[in-house]
Amino acid sequence: MGSSLKSFIKDIRNAKTLADQRTIITKQSAKIRTKLRDDHLPFSKRRVNIQKLLYLYILGEPTHFAQVECINLIASDQFVDKRLGYLATMLLLDEKQDLLTLLTNLLNNDLHHPNKYIVSLALSTLGSLSSYELARDLYPDVIHLIETSSDPFILTKSFQCLAKLIIKDSELTILEIFPIELIKEKFLDSPNVSLLTHGVWLGICKVLQSIVILLLDTSIQETPEFILAIRENLLIILPNLLDQLSSLNVKNYESNYDVQGIRDPFLQCEIIITLKWIFKLAKKVELFSPIKTKYDEKFIDIFTQLTNNSSLSLNKNPTNAILYEVTRTIFELEMNQSLRLLGINILANFLKPTNSASGSTEKGKKSKTNSNNNNNIKYVALNTLIRVVQQEPNAIAKHKKFISHCLYDPDISIKFRSLELTFAILNKDNLIELVNELIKFLHDVSLNNVNSGYVYIDMDESKELINYTIDNLVKRFDLYDSNQEKVKLQNLFEILKLTGNMISVDKLNEFLITINNVEDWKIKINCLVENIVSHMQKGKIPTSNICWNLIMIWSIGEYGDSITNQSNGKISETQLVNYLIQLNTLYSNTSKSSIKNNPSATNNTYNDHITMIQYILTSSLKLSSKINDGGNIESLRQIILNHQKDPNLMLQLKSNQYEMIFNQPANLKKLMLECMPNFVRQIETNGDETFTHTISTKAEAPSIDKNSNLLDLLSDISDKPSNSTASSVKKEVSALTLPNDAVSIFNNDLLEIYSHVVDVQPGNAHYELFFKPLSTPFNELHSLCAVPKQQKLTLGQIQPTHNNIDVNQITKQSLKIAGTGKLKLRVKLNIVTGNNETQQVQFDHKFNETI
Amino acid sequence: MSQIKYLLLISRQGKIRLMKWFIPLSSKEKTKIINELTQTILARKPKMCNIVEYSDYKVVYRRYASLYFIVGITPDVDNELLTLELIHRYVETLDSYFGNVCELDIIFNFTKAYDILNEMTMCDGSLAESSKRNILQTIATMDSMDDHDKLDRVLS
Repeated sequence: MGSSLKSFIKDIRNAKTLADQRTIITKQSAKIRTKLRDDHLPFSKRRVNIQKLLYLYILGEPTHFAQVECINLIASDQFVDKRLGYLATMLLLDEKQDLLTLLTNLLNNDLHHPNKYIVSLALSTLGSLSSYELARDLYPDVIHLIETSSDPFILTKSFQCLAKLIIKDSELTILEIFPIELIKEKFLDSPNVSLLTHGVWLGICKVLQSIVILLLDTSIQETPEFILAIRENLLIILPNLLDQLSSLNVKNYESNYDVQGIRDPFLQCEIIITLKWIFKLAKKVELFSPIKTKYDEKFIDIFTQLTNNSSLSLNKNPTNAILYEVTRTIFELEMNQSLRLLGINILANFLKPTNSASGSTEKGKKSKTNSNNNNNIKYVALNTLIRVVQQEPNAIAKHKKFISHCLYDPDISIKFRSLELTFAILNKDNLIELVNELIKFLHDVSLNNVNSGYVYIDMDESKELINYTIDNLVKRFDLYDSNQEKVKLQNLFEILKLTGNMISVDKLNEFLITINNVEDWKIKINCLVENIVSHMQKGKIPTSNICWNLIMIWSIGEYGDSITNQSNGKISETQLVNYLIQLNTLYSNTSKSSIKNNPSATNNTYNDHITMIQYILTSSLKLSSKINDGGNIESLRQIILNHQKDPNLMLQLKSNQYEMIFNQPANLKKLMLECMPNFVRQIETNGDETFTHTISTKAEAPSIDKNSNLLDLLSDISDKPSNSTASSVKKEVSALTLPNDAVSIFNNDLLEIYSHVVDVQPGNAHYELFFKPLSTPFNELHSLCAVPKQQKLTLGQIQPTHNNIDVNQITKQSLKIAGTGKLKLRVKLNIVTGNNETQQVQFDHKFNETI
Repeated sequence: MSQIKYLLLISRQGKIRLMKWFIPLSSKEKTKIINELTQTILARKPKMCNIVEYSDYKVVYRRYASLYFIVGITPDVDNELLTLELIHRYVETLDSYFGNVCELDIIFNFTKAYDILNEMTMCDGSLAESSKRNILQTIATMDSMDDHDKLDRVLS
């Protein structure tokens, strides 16, 4: 095995099997470990070993044993060692490690190194590993660099590093010291233009963002002097940012930063974001209320300018990235309506199908990646539109054509988003149009499903799409006007025809209710006749479309008489009865055979078939009261009797009950088996969007015990009421108070602890401990307790919560001790305080009691 | 403002070629992310968009020849489209540095790939330098200083 990095990598890669590879890795890893432990190993060898180790890191092997070695490498005075040392340190360590304190001195020295590349390495490392201690000790050095250096390379890195240190410094110590006016004086207004490279700009933007974010986050009662000064300075810097942004949009001579002919989109976005944050702060503290309009106008001007310029270079991703950033800013700042409309138009443009003249003739890598460019902008546009649709539903609804177009995108995530958006913009005015669009879409999906030749969507995904569509469509049934009932029914049947075999039977409740509640009797029956006729003419009954059959069964039971009357002889009573008989045989056989094949059958198909038979039974009973031919009535009775010994208890029960009703006198039966009354929906206002269905009291029930049967029929259809009781549980939190006889057993500046005797008997004791944070809230509190050997301790959970405990909020923990002897306790607490510091508290306590 | 969480380079065979984490995570969490993302992203069809939802954030990826460049981004902060440009800029820089870069270049010279990335991005995954030329110049100077040091040692 060779000793160079190259042969090391080759060895690992050439391993024939995974097991071989593992052997090599384990062996090499051990070898590296021994080598690195050798203090006399020359630096060149040390480097090779660290490099090998980094390769193992990429492979996901454990590398923590060499963390100190990496830091040692930094201590070398050779550049080549330092460079690798810093690289390895950044990779192998993270901000959470205690080892980082070892870095303090090294970084401190290197930040003042005459070699600027070493300074830059130190800055990068400090930026990625800025623990609390490192940040506290080293921020003055970083500020010093910004003040004194005149090298854009160093300045770029210093600003980035400082931005990170600022954002982590919740105590604002850095802000208090940082001379923010320097940014304006030394950089933005300096005659020395060479100082202000794009890198430095990026860094300045980052620092400004950090400052603003921090100021927005911290809520201070009285605004100290230095914060006022910072606000003042932000205000002064604002015009420079606006100018730079607009100049980036005009001039174009430095191709160094260009991306596809667009000037540094990275910097453009960065400035837009910085402006956004400053405006956010301005909004909150009313920073520039007297001159607000001036800045607002300028801001708007630049945005309009941006969109106009960019329209020239459409279809380029960098342009789109900038435009996207602009729209995000518009909506986040809730800017005025004309801008919001501008934003929506930009996004709607993203949705437009590509024109063939995309203008890009680049070869190779670029053209390859351009092909799905269009998908990406569609994705972000839909995402953003969904988020803002509440603000401007009508403006977005205008672009419904493009949105519907995205339904046919091959990418499932785009399909879903456009579906969601379609439902969000759906209103009374565009209802018919959009529902037709959705039916077309359902057609497309279900068709592809059958052909299964569709490349991009598999069965599960199309089921998901269909179910999502149906769930949402069902909620919109109420939107139809009363004069649109015909269209409503047509749509409903169309949907069922397409998807009835894909959705679950439970979803049909809404469909049934909708049919039931149609007010215009003639329309309802005509529509049913139409569908039943076309259904029966096919001759063969499609078993797969179970939902469709269910609707048919139900309708026959409810409206059998009206259907035959209005069908002009196309449908006879006998046909309806035969239909029920046919279906009954079909579902009874399949449910029986599935039991035979699989005795513990609880699968969906079986359950569905049982449901179907229940509906058939109800329908047969109801139809029997609506027809006159004795033979047909007897056939219906046979269907019911057929199930009197059904292995399924529910069917057996139903069959027997129905038999009883069947034998009632005709007039009573007729009353009982009338059509369903209108369902009245009660909308729960405090719950989610759940509906519970109740039956209106208009139902004329002949007698009470019969009524219970009637209700039983309904139980198939009505949803279980969803009363939410979850909210009541929440309230019990934080109501804990200290009992009167609680004794303080420990206190320091962090917390107080009390104990309280619940019960002490020989052999058993029960205490409660109470914890009360004093100075700072606790993010987490964990307690460990120990008792002498001859006793046994059962520790309860901290109540009500061990997370996020406020100052003075009391939490308790129960202690149950069994055994004999004096009661002594050792308590160890691990606390994470509000500012994420971990604290440990440990103490011993002797109780007065003995068991 | 870019604030990427991590950058992963994964080959079409699902082998990891480079990883850089800008947020502190345990090795268990890292492995989970790598495994799950490899599975999701390798299975995606070419016509699908380059943005995937993962956990409570989004992941942007782009495929170059046999390598997937995968970036986890911070929601509401990172710009998905710009992240694609960021990936592209990195690839371009690698391409210029190695001269028509291929997967093997990155495997055998992974430290260089890291160096370039560290010149381009800093701290919590923010873009520090947007110019390809500047990055290449810096790397070239640092490389020559490396060689100089090594030469010095040989001579002494």
